[in-house]
Amino acid sequence: MALEQSFSGASEDFPALLRRKGLLSPAATVDPTARAPNSREQSWKPTEATTILAFKFSGGVLVAGDRRAISGNTVVYDRADKVLEIDRHSIMAIAGVPATAWEMARVLEHSFQYFRRTQLQEMSVDGKVRALSKLLRDNFGFVMQGVGMVVPIFATYDFNSNSGPRLYFYDAMGAQFEVADYAATGSGSPAVRGILYYENNWGAKRLQKLSEDEAVTIALRALDTAAESDTATGGVDRSGKIYPLIKVVSRKGITTLPERKIAAVFKQTVA
Amino acid sequence: MIEEPYRWVEAIANRREYIETQLASGSPIAAVGYRDGILFLTLGQARQKIFEIYDRIAMGAIGHPGDIERLRMAAIELASTEGFTRSAGDVSLRRLAHYSLSPVLKNAFEQVYGAPFLARMLFAEVSAKPEEDLFLRVEYDGAIATNGATFAQTRQDFAVLSGTGKSTELMESFLKVEHAPSAPFEAALKVALDAWSIGHMMQKNDAKDLPERAALTKHREEQLAIAGIEAAILERDANTAIRYRALSDEEVRALIQQ
Repeated sequence: MALEQSFSGASEDFPALLRRKGLLSPAATVDPTARAPNSREQSWKPTEATTILAFKFSGGVLVAGDRRAISGNTVVYDRADKVLEIDRHSIMAIAGVPATAWEMARVLEHSFQYFRRTQLQEMSVDGKVRALSKLLRDNFGFVMQGVGMVVPIFATYDFNSNSGPRLYFYDAMGAQFEVADYAATGSGSPAVRGILYYENNWGAKRLQKLSEDEAVTIALRALDTAAESDTATGGVDRSGKIYPLIKVVSRKGITTLPERKIAAVFKQTVA
Repeated sequence: MIEEPYRWVEAIANRREYIETQLASGSPIAAVGYRDGILFLTLGQARQKIFEIYDRIAMGAIGHPGDIERLRMAAIELASTEGFTRSAGDVSLRRLAHYSLSPVLKNAFEQVYGAPFLARMLFAEVSAKPEEDLFLRVEYDGAIATNGATFAQTRQDFAVLSGTGKSTELMESFLKVEHAPSAPFEAALKVALDAWSIGHMMQKNDAKDLPERAALTKHREEQLAIAGIEAAILERDANTAIRYRALSDEEVRALIQQ
């Protein structure tokens, strides 16, 4: 640890600090002529092999993700955590290349804390949402080269507005979209989106009215449905007793639902 | 002229005197360990003096705001980059103070043509066990006073910072007697407030001994009526990574009234 005498000033954000110290690779430049391998044949498909979903319910925002990590058609890990806590009230759930995604989560986590510590105030929700957008944008050059695609969901709690829980999804270029009810990402997301749309419009209750147990039921059913046709989604491993990771963001902070509880709901309403 | 050794010593002595004069009026800060963490406390009307540096490290400082700001930023930068590249567990106050801050402060202090840092800092790092908590006072010349863990001293679970040496000493001798290790929070809060009052009284007072109980209480109540309370805690709770929490004036006052 060496101390630099030059005063870096308050305007620098954490990724810029890391880059100044050579601890983070520079933003990849986007070369418009560069093409992903074999893109002429359109055989290159971005891999975001997973299923992540999030929706607002009566107790805040529920974020759930399956546990499978694959490489090609090999399952490499069946207990991957794709729903990551960034700070006391923010969750980033990831679909895409784990190495890049976890690095982004780490940068983001430190960015929020670095801002609070240096500026002596919490970063606004808009600032946090934008910070993730910028990381995705900086990474887009790599995505164009066919590596490091990340498509996250971001859920947080806003104390400065009436809305409370806020939910966003992103595209790989860094555009952010705020949603009113639900979001899904990853290869299994089309099925999940269908289920959540159906439930929200014609289900017994709107998603926002669901109790926690009802919300967990919907999340488990949706992930199980996604896994039914998508080999990259783990769903619920009945024999291995591996359940999806489910976290809830509320005014009180983030709660990770214990596996016991998920197993109980699964047994009662899904299996 | 400065090249002559005697002149250099004289220049350094002048500089020390100048800095001490500048720091003399700084409101004291007390940091006391208690069962569930470490409490930082001071009273004041103007700017913030207690800061979060990293997950388990807090800092209190008096001096020139510009210099405090530079040192605070440097400490946060170092801790954050270390925590990012390695892990939060690798960020240590001992390394931060001894290897990074102290050499830079000493260097600036002894380069008589350059400006020294007009700042005196108090750091604390909370650990899993109270006996492993670390307290450090870092001076403008890079000198570091620790809470023990050396052969010559018995370990203390408190540290103080004040404008003058005498005020600092009296605060320490008060805490040595009055502060019980592993005290509950409410007791730590009261003793920290009294320690602050003693430090504040002794800055403008020539007395060599601790004040009478009644005089101390009177001074404390007078100051509480006109100044705001600034306090923060580093919690020992292992369930969260970030242990720092600032306490509001109302929150602390409510606890004092009990």
